[in-house]
Amino acid sequence: MSISIPSVAFTDERLDNGLRVIVAEDHLAPVVAVNVWYGVGSKHERPGKTGFAHLFEHVMFQGSAHVAKAEHIALIQAAGGTMNGTTWLDRTNYFETLPAHQLDLGLWLEADRMATLLDALSQENLDNQRDVVKNEKRWSYDNRPYGSWQEKLQAHLYPAGHPYHHSTIGSMEDLDAASLDDVKEFFRTYYAPNNAVLSIVGDVDTAAVRASVSRYFGAIPPNPSIPPLGDLSLPPTLGEQIREVVMDKVPLPRIYVGFRAPMYGDPRLDALDVAGQILAGGKGSRLNRRLVRDERIAQDVALFTLGFVGGASICAGWATVRPGVSVERVERAFHEEVERLAVEPVSSDELARAFALIEADELGALQRVEERADRLSMYATLFDDPGLIDRMLPRYLSVTAERILEVAAATFRAVNRLVLTYLPEQPRADDASLEPSETEDETEEEAA
Amino acid sequence: MSTAVDPRRDGVVVAERPAPGTPRPYAFPAVSKTRLSNGLSMVVADLPGRPLVSAAIVLPTGAADEPDSLAGSAVLGARALTEGTEGFDAIALTEAAERLGASLHAESGWDATSISVDVPASRLEPALELLAEVLLHPTFPASEVERLRDERLNDLLQAQADPRRRADEVFIGTIYDGASPYHRPSGGTRETVERLDDAAVRAGYRRALDPARATLVVAGDLGGQDVVRMAERLVGSWAATSEAAAADRAAVVNDSSAGTGRVVRVVHRPGSVQTEIRVGHPGLPRRIPDYHAVTLMSAILCGLFNSRLNMQLREAKGYTYGAGAGFDMRRGAGPFTARAAVNTDVTVPAVLDTLAELERMRDTSVTPVELAAARDFLVGVFPLRFETAGAVVGALAGLAVHGLGLDELVDYRSRIEAVDVDAIDTAARSHLHVDRAAVVLVGDVDAFGPSLEAAGLGRLVIERDDTGAVPGPLPDQAVAAVDVEPDAGPTAGAEEPEPGPAPEPSGGDTEA
Repeated sequence: MSISIPSVAFTDERLDNGLRVIVAEDHLAPVVAVNVWYGVGSKHERPGKTGFAHLFEHVMFQGSAHVAKAEHIALIQAAGGTMNGTTWLDRTNYFETLPAHQLDLGLWLEADRMATLLDALSQENLDNQRDVVKNEKRWSYDNRPYGSWQEKLQAHLYPAGHPYHHSTIGSMEDLDAASLDDVKEFFRTYYAPNNAVLSIVGDVDTAAVRASVSRYFGAIPPNPSIPPLGDLSLPPTLGEQIREVVMDKVPLPRIYVGFRAPMYGDPRLDALDVAGQILAGGKGSRLNRRLVRDERIAQDVALFTLGFVGGASICAGWATVRPGVSVERVERAFHEEVERLAVEPVSSDELARAFALIEADELGALQRVEERADRLSMYATLFDDPGLIDRMLPRYLSVTAERILEVAAATFRAVNRLVLTYLPEQPRADDASLEPSETEDETEEEAA
Repeated sequence: MSTAVDPRRDGVVVAERPAPGTPRPYAFPAVSKTRLSNGLSMVVADLPGRPLVSAAIVLPTGAADEPDSLAGSAVLGARALTEGTEGFDAIALTEAAERLGASLHAESGWDATSISVDVPASRLEPALELLAEVLLHPTFPASEVERLRDERLNDLLQAQADPRRRADEVFIGTIYDGASPYHRPSGGTRETVERLDDAAVRAGYRRALDPARATLVVAGDLGGQDVVRMAERLVGSWAATSEAAAADRAAVVNDSSAGTGRVVRVVHRPGSVQTEIRVGHPGLPRRIPDYHAVTLMSAILCGLFNSRLNMQLREAKGYTYGAGAGFDMRRGAGPFTARAAVNTDVTVPAVLDTLAELERMRDTSVTPVELAAARDFLVGVFPLRFETAGAVVGALAGLAVHGLGLDELVDYRSRIEAVDVDAIDTAARSHLHVDRAAVVLVGDVDAFGPSLEAAGLGRLVIERDDTGAVPGPLPDQAVAAVDVEPDAGPTAGAEEPEPGPAPEPSGGDTEA
């Protein structure tokens, strides 16, 4: 019993300077989303400059020719709007959601920094944001239990020299080394209209939007020579199992498991996403059911994909080990459940339940203009195909048990597996988890 | 590389800021209210174009209503609600919901317990059947309650290692009197959670189960579906349990302060690269006459990005990724907390700056520019808050929990617009108590201890215990062990939006 998802009608055109402009009208509420994706992410960083794309994103809020430091955010908030920017491996995005009658303010602010960021650039502002970003790194990674897992995941799943080998947050040393000249060169190279997609979704008139966009962005010069990134292709699997034990300030051990996965946009990754739903999508999912509910050996479990367009994506998960349970036992159960997908087809009921949840999630996500604008920009930037906003759901719903079997068999292999084992620096006295010789039978009986 | 054209030189950039267009009208969605034959209140909002429908039943009994000895039973009981009913075991219930594309969820916070479901509109009725089953026929299987209890105990262990959660725990344990439920986390402490079992959570839930005090909220694109008829069929004959009818309900929550005056409490975390700072005191309950003035004052202090505290700590000094402050308004006076995570070597200057900004909020009148920015933000962002049916249900449920009328939402913007500078200044002077604010720090005291002592901020208590044990009471007074996890109860409905750069843990995106 399928439900109908409203389709998104939009226009898609380019200004003469190459800026791609996508407009979708929606008159349900008097709000509008403005969303800009730049085709630049941490994968464009050079050696010794890790973390720079993200630091640059912060500088984008430090003012431009007609906007003072921190004024961008002040103007948006005073207009009754919200905004943010995010940096990821393949892209950087900036977005505002505003009352619809404030659309031009959002467009003007985005245009002013796209055209004139360097006019307001100062060493003082760069230094200030470097400090902010270093505190962001401390807060999000360094001072957080298990906080290094993401950096380690990328470092192990992508070889040294590959642009996905390092994390978006970068290293403290490289952040320290970032200079004003780096900012200038990065801006002139990548922050050009022909390297951007601007999506506008909400209570607007398309013709009026077109006129405003043309007025604010039309004369910003393109960069005709954006350097190509080179070949990011990778072998589809790691070729060996990689293991690392990490001692950390954590009370409970946790295993992280990572695999190289098909690239974002490849239908095989769609099948892997559905597999992820079946494995860990809810409390009736396979990993939850076995490790958390039935055997009670894990505190929590997860499994998900991170889709990237260069070389390979990541499929990763974790399980937190309950006190008194051996890490080995949890790891074995995790692998068994994941690998079972490669040999036994999922049942039609499991597939139907996964589809129903994916449908409802999509229905919920697309209610928000901010999400619709971000999706349009994303599909245009990564796949030159904003129409995927309507076609991704049918793609997911066309995944079959056979496709899941195939992608699981290709992905969930020991020779394509990274295992990070986080162990407490100071094991608690009553904790048997570090003793391989624990009485496992007893635990299993208790759980039965 | 340089661009061929200088945009400014060549006059291609529009220098003037665009003037806003004409604001489009917006009104909070129309709502119909009814009372079923058994006394259950119903609030329904038909939202054409919002096909993911949301429904929640709210029982205004929560963690603030439970005895101290059984702290955590409401939160644990709510988690156990979906672990089995007379008609379904836990897996069958989950699978039945999943087949509908429905997410079925139960939770308890300080003030209320709620059971909610989000579902595509065409499957609303079968989803409401599951919701009614969970509401009326939960079985609280002993083995599942035991598993959830053990998971909560493990979670408490994990919290000891997380500097954020550790700071929150120690903070509430420091500012509230041991007799107030707010001195402990809503989910209970190790000591109390260890006592909980299926009998305890079942008894607690039965005390909450009274239709005359409950509200069912439904919002979304109903397309003519008669939800009142559905509710009458599913929950219309629900009668109060004898326990609920007999329950002795305290009119007010004990929210008394520990009354220690200024105390600086440090939890030593060797090698910590940041210090988690909490500064504050018991704050305000939700039902106060100057709610809107307090809302604006909070936005100016640390709600907006360009608020005083964030501009100082982040944009001027670079001490932190983001500072925040605000009142957690509950039935009783929840905490007022200013918070930031700063790099270790600026710990003391950051604390001094925080205290100074709180003082300045009391001593220095807000400017008309500050007032306008905060007012225009809160008024303008209001429609953005209600794009989904779930958000509308959350807001309406919040009204039900606090016994507030629909006018709180309908007239929210005009009431914010009516607040003047004097009212904000008065709110700051009345409700910010810097002289008796506690300062809690979780970080490497070896790196900042001497300068902290030299700052002479107040009585200094340093806890060097890093064994992961539950932090004890302040040495010379009876504050019980503390612990907290973020409270996400249904009372979140009537709260303010969270503007500004509140940093969120993310799956990898790195935010500005």
